Amino acid sequence: MAVVTRGAPADRLMRPVHRWVWGDANRRLRKLLTFADVETDGGRDILRAAEVTPDPLLRRLYLEHAIDELHHGDLFRDRGVALLRAIGSRGGALSGGNPLPGGHGLDDLRIDGEPDHRLLAFLHVAEKAAAGRFAIYREMVDDDPQTRAIFEQILRDEVFHMNYTYTQLTRVAPQTYRRHVWHARAKRLWNRYLRVAAGIAGVFGNVALTIMYFVVLPPFAWLAKRAARDEAAGWAPSRPARDASPGSQY
Amino acid sequence: MKILGISAHYHDSAAALVVDGLPVCAVQEERLSRRKNDAGFPINAIEWCLDHARLEPSDLDAVVFYERPMLKFERILTSALRAFPQSWRSFPHAIKNTLGEKVWVRGIVASHLGVPRRRILFTDHHAAHAAAAFFTAPTRRAAILTADGVGEWATMTAGHGERRADGQSEITLKREIRYPHSLGLLYSTFTAYLGFKVNEDEYKVMGLAAYGRPTMIDQVRKMVRRLPDGAFALAPEYFAFHTTADCSYSQRFVDVLGPPRHPYDPLDLDSADGRRFADCAASVQRLLEDIVVDIAMRLRRETGLPDLCLGGGVALNGLANARILAESGFERVFVPPSPGDSGCALGAALFADRIYFRNADRDVPDHPFWGPAVDGQDLARAAREDGQGVDELDDAVLIDRIAADLAAGRIVGWMDGACEFGPRALGHRSILAAPHTSEMRDRLNRDIKRREEFRPFAPVVAVEDADRFFELPSGGARLGRFMSGVFAVRPAWRSALAAVTHVDGSARVQVLDRPMAPRLHALLQAYGRRTNIPVLLNTSFNVAGEPIVTRALEGYMTFRRCGIDVLAAGSTVVTKRAASPAVSLKESGEWSSSNVAASTVA
Repeated sequence: MAVVTRGAPADRLMRPVHRWVWGDANRRLRKLLTFADVETDGGRDILRAAEVTPDPLLRRLYLEHAIDELHHGDLFRDRGVALLRAIGSRGGALSGGNPLPGGHGLDDLRIDGEPDHRLLAFLHVAEKAAAGRFAIYREMVDDDPQTRAIFEQILRDEVFHMNYTYTQLTRVAPQTYRRHVWHARAKRLWNRYLRVAAGIAGVFGNVALTIMYFVVLPPFAWLAKRAARDEAAGWAPSRPARDASPGSQY
Repeated sequence: MKILGISAHYHDSAAALVVDGLPVCAVQEERLSRRKNDAGFPINAIEWCLDHARLEPSDLDAVVFYERPMLKFERILTSALRAFPQSWRSFPHAIKNTLGEKVWVRGIVASHLGVPRRRILFTDHHAAHAAAAFFTAPTRRAAILTADGVGEWATMTAGHGERRADGQSEITLKREIRYPHSLGLLYSTFTAYLGFKVNEDEYKVMGLAAYGRPTMIDQVRKMVRRLPDGAFALAPEYFAFHTTADCSYSQRFVDVLGPPRHPYDPLDLDSADGRRFADCAASVQRLLEDIVVDIAMRLRRETGLPDLCLGGGVALNGLANARILAESGFERVFVPPSPGDSGCALGAALFADRIYFRNADRDVPDHPFWGPAVDGQDLARAAREDGQGVDELDDAVLIDRIAADLAAGRIVGWMDGACEFGPRALGHRSILAAPHTSEMRDRLNRDIKRREEFRPFAPVVAVEDADRFFELPSGGARLGRFMSGVFAVRPAWRSALAAVTHVDGSARVQVLDRPMAPRLHALLQAYGRRTNIPVLLNTSFNVAGEPIVTRALEGYMTFRRCGIDVLAAGSTVVTKRAASPAVSLKESGEWSSSNVAASTVA
């Protein structure tokens, strides 16, 4: 059973980026509020696992895990709100967050129909990675004892989470647990790739559509605006229900 | 005929099955996927409906989608063109969003269900709302008014419906108000401005309104111009939902009303900002009420009909509904249990059955319980495995026991039969509690619902007792059947019903007719015998941010992690023990390898 004291090599390489993110009050606030939502979503997914597993011990463990995650969400949210009050940010200035698509809870893992061994392997890998990152974040907020204390508390929970998931995995799949862990790592990597690829594709799509917007659309926009001028506001006659063909999408 | 109705891809997707003219089942996708307001294609809901009716997709005569996707795409594209060049940022998002999935409904349905494409039909969005309101109401002829954010182009429609003696039915929507002029979007814009989630938290604005005064109504009136024909038009300079996907209000809106509330900033009603936000809520609420009441009055004069069927998301506004009943001249106002988009799944199926296929009209059962049923045995098994106290009781004993628990101040999770279709818990998936003290309200907010303090809790009362405690106008009991109206609590009872009396002395009361939920009715009577007040606090069985529970294990998991004391499902009652085993698992090390053998499931 592992106890994480430092992050993964990739995360350690990213230290300057992490320092840049956590060094600014607004970015720190945004990060905390994003974590709040991610932990809460993750907690709900694990709660779902507790609802569907046929294994009573796993049900109790998942429940405890879910309660932890939901509590982490509350801790991050409360701290975010306290920082928000301190720096007085307003309205939509903080909207946004993660620009990549996906990322709900447990990386959009489908809980229903997922066998326990696969879920346990996934949770173990995810918790281990999260613990590594949180260990780095803890170092980044040395100047902020309250946020640091939150990371310390969460790290203690994460160690429990990654240990119980591993132990239970060896119980439910004693012959194949190593393979499941490797499979979970590969799947996590693949999901990462898909998210990045979708993000890049999204950027290309945005650029292409924006070019089209300014190159192709202007004459149509002129026509549409001219037509709009002729439209009176207020009640307009509805088309009779029978006039539209039931099979028509128009 | 077997007709499946589907609503999806905007918010709160759902499926409903109509067989031989009657609903057989209907459920929102969120209740099965466990993601609140799940807007995805409702595959779980469809599968459950087909399983429940023991049908294969090939048995379906038609699958009806609740709107016309290409007409909606036309509106999105036209709106982007009209807002050129300000719409340059929202255009890629809108096009990707629409072309990604939303316009390919026929192909998606065909590929998921394997039904021939010719069997996939479409209705107008507001026709589905109208059908959901009219065909489920116990009336033969009625005026129909629908209002929501937006469907294809229409945001509000007015007309009438008739179920004729020869068995044929008609819905005639005579006129409509079109996008971007929308009462739903006006309200949603204020929802966003007040820091709440659009399409989800509109009812928070309504709850907040009671704490404010409509001091800003003149400013809000500038945003909504009334027209000579009784319609209205939004002043575009105050809004941004037609030009950008990021924010629904403009800088001018902020200039008039002040800075918006940050979603994470707690709402402090004692602060100047908090009072301003409450006044904003009160102002937009008053304006919305004034407009819909005026439109309903004109519709009443025009049709001369005594009944009104209300549909669309705006019909969830209980304050406005109560004023329509009181002031418009209609004698009865019918609001279905699911007037929003999820209800369109049922509306689309009924519309196709009655209008497209000209099938004979049939009376639709007047209840909201079309979802999956709860199994008390599932609860008993899980609770026993966890070492909880489990009792399996005869109905009379169970009712008496729960009444005693409630009278003793315990909070009860109550699951009974099929779950409700729609956003309201109407006695089958409810958290029940004694309604007498504000401490109970605070306890529920703090330990269970974890929600804002300004939000009221609703009471439930039997129809025969309702008038004693609440000032119900003629037709009020009908409006309260599905918790669709807000009425005054009689002054003499306000202190005895403190947990369910809002700050303005009102309550969104559920008026329960015995045949609709006989066990809850019996519980109310048993509680009344003990306390002389046969009223209970009834709130949805969920915690903040989660859908209402559906199955026994979901109720049990909610029970385990919040302050509910007793859980009843079917004939099973679980009482929470002081020290729950799950709490000690982490410390006990029961999960660790050395103890695995003892914990292994047989």
